[in-house]
Amino acid sequence: MRMKLHLNYVFKLAVILPLLFISTDLMAQSDHTGQAYPTRTFAITGATIVQAPGVVVDSGTVVISDGLISAVGTDVVIPKNAEVIDGSELFVYPGFIDGMSNTGAARPDQMERPDDLFTPDPPNDYAGITPEESVLSQIDVSENSIESMRKLGFTISHTVPYGRMLPGSGAIILLSDKETTYDLVLKQDVSMFTQFSGAPGAYPGNTLGIMAKWRNLYTQASLSKDHETLYASNPGGIQRPTQDRALQAFYPVIDQAKPVFYHTNSMLEARRAMKLKEELGFSLVLSDLEEGWFMTNDLKDSDIKVLMSLDLPDEPKESEDEDKTDEVAHLEQRRLQAYNQFLSQYSEFNEAGIPYGFSTIGTTTNNIKGNLERLVASGLSEDAALAALTTNAAELLGIENIAGTLEAGKLGNAVVTTAPYFEEGSKIKYVFVDGDKFEYDTSKKASSEISEEGMDVLLGSWNYALSSPQGEQTGEWIFTNEGGSLTGMMTSNMGGPDMDMNNLSFMDGTLSFDFSFDAGGQSVEIVVVGDVSGQEFSGEASIAAFSMSIPISATKVPN
Amino acid sequence: MRHSACRFQFLQLKCLIKMKRFDMKKLTFLIALLLIGTNVIMAQVPKGDVLIKNGTVITITDGTLENTDVLIQDGKISRIGTSLKNRNGVTEIDATGKFVMPGIIDAHSHIAGTSINEGTSQVTAEVQMGDVVNPLDISIYRALAGGVTSIHLLHGSANVIGGESETLKLRWGVTDPQDMMFEGAPRTIKFALGENPTRGGRSRGIQPQSRMGVEAMLRNSFKEAQIYKQKWDAYRADNSRRKVAPKYDRRMETLVDILEGEVLVHCHSYRADEIYMLLNVFSDFGIENLTFQHANEAYKVAPELAEFGAGASVFSDWWAYKLEVYYSTAYNAAILTNNGVTTSINSDSGELIRHLFHEAAKSQKYGGLSDEEALALITLNPAKQLGIDDRVGSIEEGKDADIALFEGHPLSSYAIPVMTFVDGVKYFDRENDAVDQRLSVDPEDTIEDVHIFDADEQHKCMQDAEITNLYDFLNK
Repeated sequence: MRMKLHLNYVFKLAVILPLLFISTDLMAQSDHTGQAYPTRTFAITGATIVQAPGVVVDSGTVVISDGLISAVGTDVVIPKNAEVIDGSELFVYPGFIDGMSNTGAARPDQMERPDDLFTPDPPNDYAGITPEESVLSQIDVSENSIESMRKLGFTISHTVPYGRMLPGSGAIILLSDKETTYDLVLKQDVSMFTQFSGAPGAYPGNTLGIMAKWRNLYTQASLSKDHETLYASNPGGIQRPTQDRALQAFYPVIDQAKPVFYHTNSMLEARRAMKLKEELGFSLVLSDLEEGWFMTNDLKDSDIKVLMSLDLPDEPKESEDEDKTDEVAHLEQRRLQAYNQFLSQYSEFNEAGIPYGFSTIGTTTNNIKGNLERLVASGLSEDAALAALTTNAAELLGIENIAGTLEAGKLGNAVVTTAPYFEEGSKIKYVFVDGDKFEYDTSKKASSEISEEGMDVLLGSWNYALSSPQGEQTGEWIFTNEGGSLTGMMTSNMGGPDMDMNNLSFMDGTLSFDFSFDAGGQSVEIVVVGDVSGQEFSGEASIAAFSMSIPISATKVPN
Repeated sequence: MRHSACRFQFLQLKCLIKMKRFDMKKLTFLIALLLIGTNVIMAQVPKGDVLIKNGTVITITDGTLENTDVLIQDGKISRIGTSLKNRNGVTEIDATGKFVMPGIIDAHSHIAGTSINEGTSQVTAEVQMGDVVNPLDISIYRALAGGVTSIHLLHGSANVIGGESETLKLRWGVTDPQDMMFEGAPRTIKFALGENPTRGGRSRGIQPQSRMGVEAMLRNSFKEAQIYKQKWDAYRADNSRRKVAPKYDRRMETLVDILEGEVLVHCHSYRADEIYMLLNVFSDFGIENLTFQHANEAYKVAPELAEFGAGASVFSDWWAYKLEVYYSTAYNAAILTNNGVTTSINSDSGELIRHLFHEAAKSQKYGGLSDEEALALITLNPAKQLGIDDRVGSIEEGKDADIALFEGHPLSSYAIPVMTFVDGVKYFDRENDAVDQRLSVDPEDTIEDVHIFDADEQHKCMQDAEITNLYDFLNK
């Protein structure tokens, strides 16, 4: 009897199991990597579900199946083939949406300066005027940034290309783990990305030229569009239109079908973008805005959309000098006021009824969670912060029908945490992107891009030397541990200012960071990459504007 | 109100209104028409009501009036007289023992601008300083403390034909660049001759590399503009429905506007030969409105300048910093004035702007100009050169209340500016001068007790135009 049952059971399994192991490649090959996940149906049960800011389901169930959210609620039937996750201690949020970033894009090599460069009229690609290009040509599925952002709960990113004045169009991608670029793409060609970044040593070199060039391009595009329309209706007797791809890229912007995402950190840059919008009439999104408090009233009743930067300034530290002069005390007080004003602009916008999403384009990944916590601590309501991460961002990007909330029918994007997200110490245990599950180890400290050992190798001071053609430039690198993440700064013995290291990363013995400074109105970026062995570093500093690399070495100062 | 807004109206509303100089009533009406279309909200600039009592009023145009009151209403000088009654109960300022003069106008300044030169091309008539106005620059306050109420924010002198400049009122405290504009001021543009553009050309391997090249580029540019205008005139005159517009170019549009007399040209120059060259070029192309900036050798061609009707905006006594500036004299301003040339004295510096009244006084020592002639160099004359003399530059009923109060006669070595008004609003008061005037503070500022170098005090005519080399990059 038992034998028969056993055989029966085995027989059923033998039929059912292979069906469960369906891989996309139905050529009867067994999956040799063993990577194919057994199911695309998940049920998180008994969890606190935050469907949208302010909409909470206690002890509910979310079912994600075949890439979509199939059910959310308290009376949900759990499908038989679901992987059941006990959510009794867990909190589920809609997957976060990044309003604008470079996530997934690889920075292209710098164009070499042509020997016969005619500075007043350089080729468009050298000047960085390539609005016809798409970020998709820069997206690399193996980019670290996809995984780094996903780990923080981001499931969708509006990624824009690297470049100068008009690098190209942005695309909305899923921060999933896929084989090819197009598997990640949710929507392409969704925006015209632009910034105040001039051509290296050529026209337009700075803001003056950039503003004029924008007006010229837009107006020329408008006329060219009229010309093409006329020609298309009946070409007889009409000059053949010139096919200028840069101008053609403006046509959907002129038709208001494609918005312009202007990267504007400062108030002055934002005002210049607004001035262009007023004159020319395109749809504008001020992106990565850091000085919004100047413009609250102007933005309140306008159709300009906003993405606030998540890059908060460091909290100012007062000097502990007992002989501190009154002047220094006053300066410190004003600096603190400026810091508080920066933090409070997020609530101010919320109270003024200005909806905004977040842009992480200028923010170091490691700082994102901490910055969100700081915002909430300074008075921003959790609902407002969550809206910026989810519903507002979805609406701004035009994907609110498929993302931003945990509702049946929307994309299977979710973040599952061990405690309420904004609570200090809460960790992300699962992230669902496109209905695929990603699990993270919450037992130990969240791993950063730099391991503990890595930190120890770097922490402290290093004396560096840059072998430039004019001689050796020296100074110090100072690496410090700021609340668990590594930060770095470099000084100069030649009288230059101290500079922060951006995008600092140390993996497998390779140290890399970049810094930028203003050289006569143009922003110059220098990327340093090299290997650390023991107490020695040797690598190269590449200077984009002159497309050259120079050797740089450093020696650690013994503690 | 920028002419540029009209251009885009042309494309959208097919508006063919041309803005000629300058019938204020017609202009206001035209502006109102365009505003309905463009939804541009005119900046609501603050305007004040004040009664300045019992001062020595230096009117510039009508002599000096002792013990005289100036009544300001809604930002305008409404009455000048003795023992005026304060009927509306406005704030009273006791100016007994003080001198009341028109706010100083600096015709050559680079403060309050984020970028100064688009030096990558030698002809950039399409760029506008109005795009880079920075109302947060502390130099604005310092200028107010020197009795200055308006500045001419110039494009730098790296290019033969630079960008449009912007006339501004120093309304310290506003953060929207629009609120600093001198509303209704005519368009102006910057040209440059001599060593600055040729140095730029030589370092980039482009024209001009010599003074011959400068003249050639001027003539070529105007010729190209004439051809551009012909094409567009033909297009507009064409009644066919199937016509294709010629290529649009803002650079050419602005050059055409210069040819048509709608833009006042201010040209950086030093040597008499190049000054004379430009007079010839402008005569050939029929351009009449011209002011030479610096013009250290203008005294050599003063009669020719007067005959042409060109103005000169000069330094009081700064020279020999370049080869082309060697043959100069402190008598320049006086010689030009005596030859009938409209002359002003400017600062071209965030430091000099704070004591332009002393600079004007030097023309009394070097040239014996009268008090009125000397003060006109920093008030009415720069106003004329900027086309704003109907609004400012003297204390007359109906003009804007841009006024500076001095302790001691402004031309005295002991002069101290004590109050400065723009549109009747007090922006500087020595008695209430807070130490920290900054409008915006960087939350990541490093606070150090030592102050070594202030870049604002340098002359910025070539800023942003230098070819930076690696050494400069790494040592900035």
